[in-house]
Amino acid sequence: MDVLREYWLFLLPLIIAQFVLMITALVHIFKHPDYRFGSRAMWIVIVVLFQMVGPIVYFVFGRGEDH
Amino acid sequence: MNILEISDLQMSFGTNHVLRGLNMEVPEHAIFGFVGRNGVGKTTTMKIVLGLLKAQGGSVTVCGETVSYGATRTNRHIGYLPDVPEFYGYMRPREYLKLCGEITGLAPAKIKSRSEELLELVGLEGVNRRIGGFSRGMKQRLGIAQALLNEPRLLICDEPTSALDPIGRRQVLDILSAIKGRTTVVFSTHILSDVERICDHIAVLEQGQLALSGTLAEIQKQQRRNSFRIRFATEAEATAFTQLEELNRGGVELILDGKELQISCEDGSIDGQKLVDLLSEHRLAPENFEAMEPTLEDLFTEVVT
Amino acid sequence: MKHYFVFLKKELMEYARTYKLLILLAVFTIFGMTNPLIAKLTPDLLANFMPGGMTITIPEPTALDSWAQFFKNTQQMGLIVLLLVFSSVLAGEISKGTLINLLTKGLMRQAVIVAKYGAMLLVWSISVGLSAFLTWVYTAYLFPGDGVSQLVFAVFCMWLFGAFLLAVLLAASTVAGGNYGGLLLTGLAVVALLTLNIVPGALKYNPVSLASRSMELAANAIDKSVLYPAVAVTIPAALGLIGIAVLVFRRKQI
Repeated sequence: MDVLREYWLFLLPLIIAQFVLMITALVHIFKHPDYRFGSRAMWIVIVVLFQMVGPIVYFVFGRGEDH
Repeated sequence: MNILEISDLQMSFGTNHVLRGLNMEVPEHAIFGFVGRNGVGKTTTMKIVLGLLKAQGGSVTVCGETVSYGATRTNRHIGYLPDVPEFYGYMRPREYLKLCGEITGLAPAKIKSRSEELLELVGLEGVNRRIGGFSRGMKQRLGIAQALLNEPRLLICDEPTSALDPIGRRQVLDILSAIKGRTTVVFSTHILSDVERICDHIAVLEQGQLALSGTLAEIQKQQRRNSFRIRFATEAEATAFTQLEELNRGGVELILDGKELQISCEDGSIDGQKLVDLLSEHRLAPENFEAMEPTLEDLFTEVVT
Repeated sequence: MKHYFVFLKKELMEYARTYKLLILLAVFTIFGMTNPLIAKLTPDLLANFMPGGMTITIPEPTALDSWAQFFKNTQQMGLIVLLLVFSSVLAGEISKGTLINLLTKGLMRQAVIVAKYGAMLLVWSISVGLSAFLTWVYTAYLFPGDGVSQLVFAVFCMWLFGAFLLAVLLAASTVAGGNYGGLLLTGLAVVALLTLNIVPGALKYNPVSLASRSMELAANAIDKSVLYPAVAVTIPAALGLIGIAVLVFRRKQI
């Protein structure tokens, strides 16, 4: 994978942005026990498995009320 | 002076005539209990007063100004606490009060001092987390604080205690009685003990009109229903007393239970004096003689059923 | 005037604390960086995954490919995420009843609508601006020397279409009930606009053209004057929708 070695400097911020989104979602999931639907395990899987889309779906549809 | 006057208010939803010519007057500085069964039209009335609902007839004045539907000017005199107040869960109490104050147009320094004052009044001065995590009672107390922010002359509370546990309920009632004298309070409820605890004026809504209204004493007098309980020394004396012809006629109800006799009179023809006369005439010395005031619950059940 | 400002502040706080801002900024940052990388790396990746011995000739990617990714991603995922994130902005307040308190305090109803639109527009502008800026920076590094024509106008058209969709969403939310009624109605409106292109000549004025033809603009296949009629329709249409939203909302029973 020469490509990755060549462009790592460009890829790094991208990976960081993805991680920020994922970590924020995971922190929220662990701090809040109530979701509009689904269970904690389900949301963890979704957020970890689907880059970018997972956290979006969680925050838009899954996030419960602030507690 | 009456701070709130409602005259001939008409409102119906479809075929359901909720208000049928409601007349109501709230004097200034009263704590006014607006009582009625669930679904009888209390919330509807309050929403009309706030200009949130459009009445089909009649008029409402607040501080002498007529209320109009939509953005009504009279709301500047009113603080409103909905039955289940909804806040922005992501805000902290002080941030929410600041938002309310800015909308009302209070000066920033005033908002700050008033917020602290009110948070102390409602016992939330030490709370600085987001409202989303508040209990119902805390939300209700914050609701009172936001309603009082602009020093309204009239505070309207819709069922402020019905969703609360006994402790939360007492806290809310204590706050309401604490502001008595500064602000007129109108609160709707179906919990009669709350009314007896803090209200000085009462109105009972039934069938779209007021079935009862006035101070508790006035209402009790209005009903002209005299009740007494006499405990005699022996059962024989009690029985003998029930045989008296003065007591055995229409309009008088006698309930004998061992040595105790309960007498109630619908038409007022028998009063305490009369009973005392009868007792001495027949040389009876009871162990106990008491005049029973009808409770609000008695009166309420009477007009509602 | 004060109410507009106060409510705008409240909206921005809401976006920041309910993760709306985070989602949009993250998504558009990711897109901004991904666009040029995809364009640059696609041929290499394809070559890597090709079975041994097979060779395919792919034209060397250019800056235009990078911008093609930008317009494609913004137009599809970008706008969908934008609408999803903002779908609850008015509907949620109506269904929860959070506005009752503030309206009885004398908050002007038109301030609610206008401030909400202003706040959404601000966030959308920052998002699409950020994404375009990152794509521009990455493209400049990865494809040095390549120029793209009419780029600023093409990005403006994309922004304007997003601004138009937000106006549709807001107006739809005052009419439709429920949490997702406004979103659904907006989706239907977009489908209707796309169908409208069947009518001869409609393409020229259709707001949808602002997004769908932005790539042609960047590729210099059409002159920017071709999209002037669509711009001239979209701006008053968006303003008109906000006007309708204000009128409906004023009469709405809260």
